[in-house]
Amino acid sequence: MVDSNNKEFRKRDFFYVVPLWLLSLIVPDADDLYSYRSKEFKGRELFYLAAVLVLPLVWRDPHFHHLMVLAGINAILALGLSLFLGYAGQISLGHAAFFGIGAYTTAILTTRYAFPTFGAFWASAFTAALAAYLIGKPILKLKGFFLALATLGFGEMFLVIIRESTDLTGGVIGIFNIPWFSIAGFSFDTYLKQYYLTWGVLLGLFLYSKNLVRSKMGRAFLSVAASEEAAFTVGIKVAQIKIGVFVLGAAFAGFAGSLFACIMSTANADAFGLNLSVLLVMMVIVGGMGNLYGPIFGSILLTWLIDILGKYQEWSLSIYGVILIILLIFFPDGIGTRLGMRLIYLIGYWAKKKRRDEGKL
Amino acid sequence: MDLWAHIPQLLTSGVTLGAIYALVALGFVTIIRASQIINFAQGEFVMLGGVVTFYLLKGLNLPYPLAALVATGIVITVGFLLYISVIYPLRKAPTLIVLISTLGASIFLSNTSSLLFGTLPKALPPFSGERPLTIGGVSIVPQNLWVLGTTVLLLIFLYLLSHRTLSGKAMEASSTDPLGADLLGISRTLMVFLAFGLSAGIGAVAGILVTPIFFTSYNSGTILGLKGFIAAVLGGWGKNTGAILGGFVLGVVESMSLAFIPSGYKDGVAFAILLCILYFRPKGILGSPFVDSRRW
Repeated sequence: MVDSNNKEFRKRDFFYVVPLWLLSLIVPDADDLYSYRSKEFKGRELFYLAAVLVLPLVWRDPHFHHLMVLAGINAILALGLSLFLGYAGQISLGHAAFFGIGAYTTAILTTRYAFPTFGAFWASAFTAALAAYLIGKPILKLKGFFLALATLGFGEMFLVIIRESTDLTGGVIGIFNIPWFSIAGFSFDTYLKQYYLTWGVLLGLFLYSKNLVRSKMGRAFLSVAASEEAAFTVGIKVAQIKIGVFVLGAAFAGFAGSLFACIMSTANADAFGLNLSVLLVMMVIVGGMGNLYGPIFGSILLTWLIDILGKYQEWSLSIYGVILIILLIFFPDGIGTRLGMRLIYLIGYWAKKKRRDEGKL
Repeated sequence: MDLWAHIPQLLTSGVTLGAIYALVALGFVTIIRASQIINFAQGEFVMLGGVVTFYLLKGLNLPYPLAALVATGIVITVGFLLYISVIYPLRKAPTLIVLISTLGASIFLSNTSSLLFGTLPKALPPFSGERPLTIGGVSIVPQNLWVLGTTVLLLIFLYLLSHRTLSGKAMEASSTDPLGADLLGISRTLMVFLAFGLSAGIGAVAGILVTPIFFTSYNSGTILGLKGFIAAVLGGWGKNTGAILGGFVLGVVESMSLAFIPSGYKDGVAFAILLCILYFRPKGILGSPFVDSRRW
């Protein structure tokens, strides 16, 4: 990519080819989206995968494991939201409600009806998707701010319903003693096992989305984001695509909610408020919209940030607000995207300057 | 029936509640009329108005009118600072980014106020006595009349500002036709800056009026902001009269709903109204100059 125009290969090109290659392992590749490439795993993906698999074995701190479990759950949520927000270009401020629906479905099914957790896991995703279909049918004809507002209204109404229907959801107290997640008698009862569970689910959903955005439907998402009128003109069923991606994001949130309920063993209305919805949107923005690594990166970063801020007690939320604003001002199109471009520019500039100093240019 | 006996009293409290929503909605509309920005920190201006006045009155022992005036000044300064530090750097960013950053500002303001002024709910003394007036079997607290009167005064002030002064007209021009405003030499930056100060001032006045009736604590701004926003959408997006009407309709409906459904669902009513209005008439009751009905 760097020196495809040059026939000869100079030794000093290593100075910027090697850093660029290292960078390409870490920084998501924006070109990926628009080019048809082979579906095989590339170096970067294998690097990520190895890091995710090996890291908890190397770093044997339970707090780290727990944090990464939370980051994984947030990443599943952010991945679903990024399909809706980053690919289809619609704004949602009520995504936490679907997370809540998933968590409460699992909680109610496992504690009241002694449902197996694996069955409840799928039931949660189904319930969340159904709710998204019913709510999305009327409100997805709105655009921009008004869609954001409508989804926000839905999220707040969900909270009110959860708090008030005491018989079903336990009201403000919530539901306790949800069993650990288990498949065929194997119970995920330690942080390490939960880590592999969460990141395994995330990996599955990630591969699914990766194939989805390359499919006909994924292209349709992008065209809807670019211009609904143009998409409509070329024969894309805009309403159907929008509701499809909304339902899909909600199903992802349902999976995440089910995992969250099983891992935390409680379901409480406070966890599913507007703050979480805003945080999820932040994860997608900070990671960079329009690529699939972005939301995962963003959710890891922000989950860690919140954990670190927890040390500052009462100051934490004020600092959090300031950091949100600073991130948005300086990295409005994502840390990865902006930083990657900046670094590539710097390395290129440095190499060119060196050549110019030697009088060869 | 016992239920119907409560209706006049609920109507009265609904009108007061509506006046407060209307004041918050006016703050939103003021910014909307100068630029297409939705400031989710509007509710925090209301909260700050009440909390800062309480601090000046009880902490520094200033006389009531002076405390109210100084607090309004402080909140207007906060509004200006918010514009300079958050909105101005993001003037070219997409709407979603601005929306989320004002939410970030809202988190910052509410939590900083809890650090500076404490987390306890605060109540100011009423402006003119606590003895309720009884008119036809309905008791009205004098403070309610203050709220209603101020709402009318502010509406007249904003009407005069936007229809009789050059800067008010320039403010409106910079929103309806940004390019045209630029060509006429209107500084849009300055106009939005002034609009933020004005909206913060309206918010502060609302906060000072509300605090004697309802308790104001550091986290009450968010829900007030959301309700005011719903009122602004309900009445007609970007219209002063729409904001007032939407506020009163929302307040009365919410208050009336107490007679028919459990009180816990009160907050849900506002959002149910919001979803209905967005679905059936996104322009709002009075129509809106900024919402193009063809798009829906």
